[in-house]
Amino acid sequence: MSISCRQVSKQYGSVIALQNVSISCKAGEICGIVGANGAGKTTLFKILIGLVTPDNGSVTIENTGKKKAGGIIEKPALYEYLTAYENLKVYAKMQGASTDKNILHQFLKRVGLPIDRKDPVRNYSMGMKQRLGIAIALLNNPSCLILDEPFSGLDPMGIESLRNLILKLSEENLAILISSHIVDVLSKLCSKLYVINNGGIVNSGDMAALISENTNAYTICGSGIADSKILQKYETIERGNCVMVSVSSKEIPKVLQQLAEEQISITSCTPEVDLQKLFHPISQ
Amino acid sequence: MRALLATEFYKLIKQSRTYYALAAIFVIEGVVLFSAYYQGAGIIDIVLSNLKDSFYFEGNLLNGNLVTYFILNSLWFHVPLILIIIMSGSLTTEYKDKTLQTVMMQPVKKWQYILSKYIVAIVFTTCVVFVLALTSFLLSYALFGKGDLIVYVNGLTFFEHDDALLRLVYAFIVGAVSMVFFSVVSVTLAVIFKEAMKTWIIAAFFLILSNILLKVDFGSELLNQLLYVKLNDTWQYFFTFEIPWSTIYTNVALLIVYTLLTMGVGVYVFQKKDIG
Repeated sequence: MSISCRQVSKQYGSVIALQNVSISCKAGEICGIVGANGAGKTTLFKILIGLVTPDNGSVTIENTGKKKAGGIIEKPALYEYLTAYENLKVYAKMQGASTDKNILHQFLKRVGLPIDRKDPVRNYSMGMKQRLGIAIALLNNPSCLILDEPFSGLDPMGIESLRNLILKLSEENLAILISSHIVDVLSKLCSKLYVINNGGIVNSGDMAALISENTNAYTICGSGIADSKILQKYETIERGNCVMVSVSSKEIPKVLQQLAEEQISITSCTPEVDLQKLFHPISQ
Repeated sequence: MRALLATEFYKLIKQSRTYYALAAIFVIEGVVLFSAYYQGAGIIDIVLSNLKDSFYFEGNLLNGNLVTYFILNSLWFHVPLILIIIMSGSLTTEYKDKTLQTVMMQPVKKWQYILSKYIVAIVFTTCVVFVLALTSFLLSYALFGKGDLIVYVNGLTFFEHDDALLRLVYAFIVGAVSMVFFSVVSVTLAVIFKEAMKTWIIAAFFLILSNILLKVDFGSELLNQLLYVKLNDTWQYFFTFEIPWSTIYTNVALLIVYTLLTMGVGVYVFQKKDIG
């Protein structure tokens, strides 16, 4: 196991930010933490990375190196007046990492940034800043990467590109923790999901199983899908070439098979996670 | 620690704000020189018209020493004000841009990081005062030449050129200690208040209050001698007829102690506080 915390609690005045939170993420694993704004994701990540001291509980990161965990909290914080290379050099120098030009260029290449740009990073897109933030986080070879809302502010291309980078990094045996308030974003990346609500973990488990357990409807897209006979048996809502079908995860393979038999060419099938059920499992 | 110092200096010289602030200091210097060049002689004649009938003055009274003395007096308010903006900004900007958070996510010791900020503030402030002094002497002597210095500190006092030059040099050196104190205070205020505007207002208030309290009698010999506000005009002591060396040594030593204590408080608070 590469990073874990046990029974972590944090209170700011009378506000309970976290209460008895325990999570873990193994090397090579991508774990997601989903929660509404203000649920406690950022506080948890700040505690995991050592910026904030918890009132109770402990954090364990297995790494013998100089830097245990790297990360981005809220947004990539960069020296806007410096170039990407200069930013990397400043952060490398202050922590005693190598400032060799070739090594720093390797870091830029590793996250897919150009090495020949000489303008300050204030000119960069949010996606490029996220990449540079990740490059800085990776300096000194941490065993764990903590990314707080890394997809916020990115366009679809940026999201796709960053997702591929994160997948590539997980292959390098890093334990990667990602937070988001959007389940769909995490479902395409993570193998494990923690659901946080009002400062406590309310649901957790294998991502596919959690999605399956908490999905009561699927959005199926394809040409002529609205005229399907099989879908007439279910409660549906039409959305152009797509139909949202109220169907359980157990039934969906059969529905898709029957749609295929009707010669309907399906372009996508997306689970619609019941957020109420996911965030309030006990009350359901 | 050396690496942290190098990166702090690097960041300081890479920021355009540093150059704007430095330019502001030298614009003040330029304005003093310009005003002295075009209006100074007339004012001096009016002020000293009676004395000139009774005394003989060597050279022109509006000379390089007097103009340098005018510029030296920017150490009362203008120079420390600009220095507190630059030095507190070196930390408040890091809070605002969250770069401090990123720094603290690296394997960097908190106390070493803030100490490097203080050391950079001290070195930078000293360099600014040195450059201010150097340019003052060079430009003033080039434009106005040499001559006796006339100053009003508890009465009019005259100094011959060589003596005046030495006193001005000493005054800049001791003045630098006062400037360092204000820079260090501003960094400590930035540690406590984090936000730029709040820190600037409080630091400027601190500077104004210090200047006001300098003239206040606290009714206690001990307070009047030891309180920091009574130490910040030590650089003016060089313009009394007899230089009170022992008072100057004591005041400078006390001011250094105050500076170190302020730094200690800043390092302690920074170490204790969560970043984020």
